[in-house]
Amino acid sequence: MFKELDPILHSQLRLAVMSLLIGVKEAEFTFIKEKTNATAGNLSVQIQKLKDAGYIEVGKQFKDNYPLTTCKITPKGIDAFENYVKDLQQYLQVGKQ
Amino acid sequence: MEEEKQLSGEESLQLITTMLQKAKGGFHEKGTSAILWGSVVAIAGLVSFAELYWDFSIRFDIWIIVLAAIVPQIFISIKESRERKARSYDGAYLSAIWTVYGISMFALMFYVNIMPSATQRILTAFGTEWFSKNLRTGELTPLEPYVVGRSSIFLILFSIPTLTTGMATRFKPMIIGSLLCYGFFVISCFVINTYDMLLLALAGIFNWLIPGIILRRRYLKGKCANV
Repeated sequence: MFKELDPILHSQLRLAVMSLLIGVKEAEFTFIKEKTNATAGNLSVQIQKLKDAGYIEVGKQFKDNYPLTTCKITPKGIDAFENYVKDLQQYLQVGKQ
Repeated sequence: MEEEKQLSGEESLQLITTMLQKAKGGFHEKGTSAILWGSVVAIAGLVSFAELYWDFSIRFDIWIIVLAAIVPQIFISIKESRERKARSYDGAYLSAIWTVYGISMFALMFYVNIMPSATQRILTAFGTEWFSKNLRTGELTPLEPYVVGRSSIFLILFSIPTLTTGMATRFKPMIIGSLLCYGFFVISCFVINTYDMLLLALAGIFNWLIPGIILRRRYLKGKCANV
C-alpha cells in the first residue's frame, strides 16, 4: 500500500519550481523562468498555487525602479518535497516488484 | 514547460534531478575580486621587498593601495549583487566568511598600526623605556615598540577564507594556494622582514591571483558556451 502523491507537487512545472528552490536560498522570478523555460503567465499561476499551499514564500520589492519578485521555499515546502520524494521512491519500488 | 502535465514516477525523478543540476549550475564565480586582491597584495609585497632589498624608497607606503582597493571592491560587489538572480546556501555562507575575513584584516591592520604608539604611551606612563643592547659592543639604543612577526600573522589570516572556500567548493587551485600560504607562514617564522614582503607577494599570487584568473577563464568559457 503506498500513499497518493501530493497533487500540488505532482505537476511538471510546480515540481520543477520546487526542485529548483530546494537547492537555493532564494531565487528571482526571472531565474526560475529561465531555468524552467516556462512562460511568465503560466509560471505566475503555478507560483501562486505553491504560495497558496504554503510551500513557498513570495516577496515583492523594487530594484532599479523595476518590480522584483523573489521566491523562497518554506519549511512546510521542504517537508512536502521530502515526503513527495519518499512517496515517489516507494511508488517506484512497488512498480518494480 | 507545460502547466498541468501529469508525470510518471520516472519522469518526476528525472525532472527533480535535472532541476537540481540546473540550480547548481546557475552560479558562476567571476574571479574579479580574487584578481583584484591578488594583484594588489602582490604589487605591494614586491615593491616593499624591492625597497628593502635594494635599499631605496618610493616615498610613500605602498600598502596604502590595499586600502584604496576597497573602492573598486565596493563597485564589484554592488554589480555582482545586481546581476545575481538567485542566492545559494553555499554562496551565503562563503559570503559571510569573506565578510568576517575582511573585518578581521582591518582589525589586524589597526592593531599593527596602533600597537607601537599605544605601547610607547604605556611605557612612558610607567616611566620606562625599551632598549636594544648590542651584545658585542654593549651599546644601548632606544627601541621603539613594534609587533613582532606581523607578516606571519597576515599569512595565516590570508589562508583561512581561501582554504575554506576551496574546500567547500572543491576548487583545487584555492586549496593548493592556501596550503602554499601556510607554507609561506612557516618560512616567514625563520626569515628577516625583507623576505617576509616577498612571501606576502607570493601569497597574493598563489592564494588569489592565480585562482582568480582560473575562475575568470572558466566564467568566460561558460559565457561563450551559452551564447
